[in-house]
Amino acid sequence: MKCAEVVEQFPLYSYGEVSPEVEERIEAHLAACVECARGFAQHRSFMEALDRREGPDEAVLLTACRLDFRQQLAAATSTVKRAPGWTGWLESLRNLAGFHIPFRIPVGALALVAVGFFAARYTPEKFGGIRAGLTEPMFSSVKSIQPGDSGKVQIAVDDVQRRVVTGGMDDPRIQQLLLAAVREEANPGLRVESIGMLQNSAESQEIRQALIDTLTHDPNAGVRLKALQGLKQYAGDASVRKALANVLLKDDNAGVRGQAIDLLTAHHDDSIAGILQDVMQKEDDDYIRIRCRDLLEAMKASVGTY
Amino acid sequence: MAEPLDRSAERARTAAGSDEASLIREAQRGDQDAFERLVKSYDQSVLRLAINLLRSPDEARDVYQEVFLKVFRNLHLFRFDCSFHTWLYRIATNVCLDHLRRRKVRKEESSVIDTPEGPVDQATRLAEEGPAGNPERQTWNKELSAGITAGLEGLTPRERTVFELRHYEGLRLRAIGEILGTSEEAAKNCLFRATQKMRASLETFV
Repeated sequence: MKCAEVVEQFPLYSYGEVSPEVEERIEAHLAACVECARGFAQHRSFMEALDRREGPDEAVLLTACRLDFRQQLAAATSTVKRAPGWTGWLESLRNLAGFHIPFRIPVGALALVAVGFFAARYTPEKFGGIRAGLTEPMFSSVKSIQPGDSGKVQIAVDDVQRRVVTGGMDDPRIQQLLLAAVREEANPGLRVESIGMLQNSAESQEIRQALIDTLTHDPNAGVRLKALQGLKQYAGDASVRKALANVLLKDDNAGVRGQAIDLLTAHHDDSIAGILQDVMQKEDDDYIRIRCRDLLEAMKASVGTY
Repeated sequence: MAEPLDRSAERARTAAGSDEASLIREAQRGDQDAFERLVKSYDQSVLRLAINLLRSPDEARDVYQEVFLKVFRNLHLFRFDCSFHTWLYRIATNVCLDHLRRRKVRKEESSVIDTPEGPVDQATRLAEEGPAGNPERQTWNKELSAGITAGLEGLTPRERTVFELRHYEGLRLRAIGEILGTSEEAAKNCLFRATQKMRASLETFV
């Protein structure tokens, strides 16, 4: 093996990525050639220098990443994307089937019950169903049932006609409908979507208040996180800060509390020292405790209360 | 009679592999707790890879989210035809490569910033102060670290990934080829070019 060939193999040889035959030939050459042996010693110093690269302390970042991911996961599992019509409905079921298999059986059973129930109630007359004009899609509910004369039954049905409303985000009708959707208790996916649309209009006091109410009262952590995201640019507002402090002390979801402390502390405000001290007393999440401790130290406030 | 060490190590590896396989299957069946345990067994190495490849804690944080959300959404597609580690690293390196390529297009500012104390690698700002030692040595180490980062920035995204995986993660070129969807030979050429460039850029330190 010639010197030039040996030198060219240094990088792969030093990683042990040459064949055993080549390795033997290189070693034989290095044992006999002082110049190449010196060259290889230099290459080894280069490799050792590479190992002196300073690495960051990942611990805090890892905790923050895990917390972020918990939030993302909560949002991902609570948001059911909607495509129009049946395809959207099927897509939603498919998404549920993809991960939440433990919930698949009850969801499937519920869907079948719902299909049977609505089919029975709204089968068109020619198939022997009840008298109900089904020319348009409709949501209905039975309010009361009373036996009538000669074996007939009197049923009071509330019909709600479906209509499509189109408009820009500055349209007050659209805003009101989205605000109503934010309070749609049965559908967290719809609430997340509505908040996503409203969050750019949070300069409106009414919308901001709706986001605060959602943040404080919504039972779904993914929806609360979405509301937090909507309030991000108003984290300096007094009413928002009050809600954030409340979340930090009372929310049962560490992901939501972690996001709240990030927003609360984005604006320098020494008056939150008391809240942070209270949090230190009861918080068990590492990330939040570390954030609180760092902030209190930066404020030169004591970490505990005495 | 005592069992030979390599055989018991092999048995331990097999046991760990079958534990992992059952964890993956549980996660595929929708067990969120199993999924979280799976994430926790790999997330530190994915984060370290992202930090080291991107030298930016903020981008590494984004990469972490992207990678594990992709894992969450695609776990049902994992068919055990390669190791989970390879499959996960394939996702992680692809996400990192996308970030590196986007950064090249944006011609983003360097990870090494000039400070009154000399060039500093942004990623090491995360590092906590170590024990007090020789100040000259510390300065030299900082400069070397910044030099390594600057050298890595001179590599193409692919060269950088291969170099990081081989030198710092210690993966074999065959595994790197599998992760990057290329041949061992191509990974070898990439490592060769990367090493030559790094050596040239660190000439003053060696």
